[in-house]
Amino acid sequence: MTGKRIAALAFALAGAAGAAQGLESEGVTEERIRIGAEIYARNCSPCHGPRMQDAQGAFDLRKFPPDQKSRFVTSVTKGKNTMPPWGDLLKPADVDALWAYVMAGEKQ
Amino acid sequence: MRRSAFAAAVFLFIATAASSQTLDDLKSDGKNTDNILTYGMGYQQHRYSSANQINKTTIKRLVPVWNLSLDNNWGEQAQPLVYNGAMVVTNAKATVAIDVATGKQIWKHNLDWPPETPRVVCCGVSNKGAAILNGKVYRTTLDAHVLALDMKTGKELWKSKAAEWKDGYSMTVAPLIANGVLITGISGAEFGIRGFIDGWDPDTGKQLWRRYTIPARGEKGNETWPQNNNAWEVGGGSSWITGSYDPELDLTYWGIGNPAPWASQSRPGDNLYTSSVLALRPKTGEIVWHYQFTPGDAYDYDSNWELILSDIDVAGQRRKVLMQLNRNGFLYVIDRTNGQLTSAKAYEKMNWASHVDMATGRPVETEVAKKLRASEQVELWPSTTGGKNWPHAAYNPNTGLLYANTIHQARMFRHLETKPHVPGQRYMFVENLPIAKKPGEPHGHIDAIDPLTAEKKWRVPLTDFQIWSAMLATGGGLLFTGKTTGEFIALDADNGKQLWQFQTGSGINAMPVTFTHNGRQYVTVLSGLGGLYWNQQRERLKDIVPQGGSVWTFALLPE
Repeated sequence: MTGKRIAALAFALAGAAGAAQGLESEGVTEERIRIGAEIYARNCSPCHGPRMQDAQGAFDLRKFPPDQKSRFVTSVTKGKNTMPPWGDLLKPADVDALWAYVMAGEKQ
Repeated sequence: MRRSAFAAAVFLFIATAASSQTLDDLKSDGKNTDNILTYGMGYQQHRYSSANQINKTTIKRLVPVWNLSLDNNWGEQAQPLVYNGAMVVTNAKATVAIDVATGKQIWKHNLDWPPETPRVVCCGVSNKGAAILNGKVYRTTLDAHVLALDMKTGKELWKSKAAEWKDGYSMTVAPLIANGVLITGISGAEFGIRGFIDGWDPDTGKQLWRRYTIPARGEKGNETWPQNNNAWEVGGGSSWITGSYDPELDLTYWGIGNPAPWASQSRPGDNLYTSSVLALRPKTGEIVWHYQFTPGDAYDYDSNWELILSDIDVAGQRRKVLMQLNRNGFLYVIDRTNGQLTSAKAYEKMNWASHVDMATGRPVETEVAKKLRASEQVELWPSTTGGKNWPHAAYNPNTGLLYANTIHQARMFRHLETKPHVPGQRYMFVENLPIAKKPGEPHGHIDAIDPLTAEKKWRVPLTDFQIWSAMLATGGGLLFTGKTTGEFIALDADNGKQLWQFQTGSGINAMPVTFTHNGRQYVTVLSGLGGLYWNQQRERLKDIVPQGGSVWTFALLPE
């Protein structure tokens, strides 16, 4: 992910006034978005699609409900359907970063 | 079937299994149509049977005679084996022995691997099949073990660990038994493994040898990797499709997978022996010769697909060759005594190379390839899925033609910046996006192909989905294969015309076989949607094709 794109995402995030307030309280920061994008690109994109495009048959993360972070964390750490559990590999901070990226990133 | 009759059948199976098959039986597999003892229905991997009771005239009477649930939603890809009236079937979860006449389950051996294991399986939680010798069944497990079962009871006899799944290693390959050695490959190039092929003692599970597919520092071939970094140690080179074997030459041929990461900028050089074929001595694993199809592979054009052995006329001379419809779009014919390239012709649309230079044996890359290597996004033909993926071709030695399910697909592909390797995590660094099909453009074809010219005797366009089932050719002039939408179909091998179909309970992405039992010819295929194509097409398939594995067996309805 380029710096320009992160900036654009952060801007879009900041622009979404009320929502941004909520997301900030969930810990969605520019740095976390950047880290989350890297984790996503390496581990998640093979099934959920590059930059969350072309999710194929996996869950389209662009549609993940912003008010269900705990569901997101549970799915990532414990697995769901054919998705294996990632809890032993991704630390809580990594999952937070992924959440930040999924909430802020690639909504176009 | 009454209980007493079933008990009698089980007894018969146990009694006959006692007269176990030998290495000589393996060598002559394909000659006795009662048994299927090897992957590919013979060491030459022709996937051809001379059985002709089911033929163009009688096919209208072909009906299902039994179906057995495999209680598995991960997908069925395996080739069944048959010995003395018992069938052995595998998937990622279990091994099952079945009475071929009745469809009754004789035993089932369940596997248990950590739920995290699918994380290191790039392309489908599956298993391609078993090997059998002297009353033992051999198979690999998703979490990278090799095990032996008693063929009579399914009891586990030994289990050996090949590698650590947490480091990205997994196994779906069917083993090969060649010259008394049990040989297995490995998966994991998408996770930066260093690939290998192993030789095991079939009696004890003791490892006899390991041949890394990437030579170590100081070994011949390592000079094709950067000397200033450790790219060779994490360079991929899987071996996830069973090799073929020539007992006279005592050489086993294994296709080797792509280098890691897919983005090639961190590993300048040819990267031996990735995207190559290796000819090995089965007793020692010694490399006798190699040929590299795609040097410095930047496209995931791994070269694992079936290596079909035959003796054919080339420019008036009888030659011992191996043939491969390589993922990179070229059909190769190679002298299997010495690795000399005989022919390399494009069988599918390609834009990464213009041709193969017959003097050097190397592909001549195009401007598209140069742009890709310069990190530009390109429309790549064939896509990383290849002009053909693993679903194996059949070869009829009487017609001299290859019959294959090929893929017609491009993708928008580019390399991303590479990052350091982390064990057990993806090591690819590419962006690979689909391209909308032009109206009327097929997804792939069923092709009858001349090995030396790559010309199609006929081709059937596929307008709904690609076919991800292997092909079976028979002495009845038929081809059998299965569709993603579940139809098991028979074609006229002369012209590709569909003669028969049966709708199975799920999609088919497996390997049909045919055999005879008490004078009756049977055809068997596993149904159960799974694997890479299912993963890519789930959105289109989820409402029209259910999951769920089962074994379907067919025979002629008596007149």
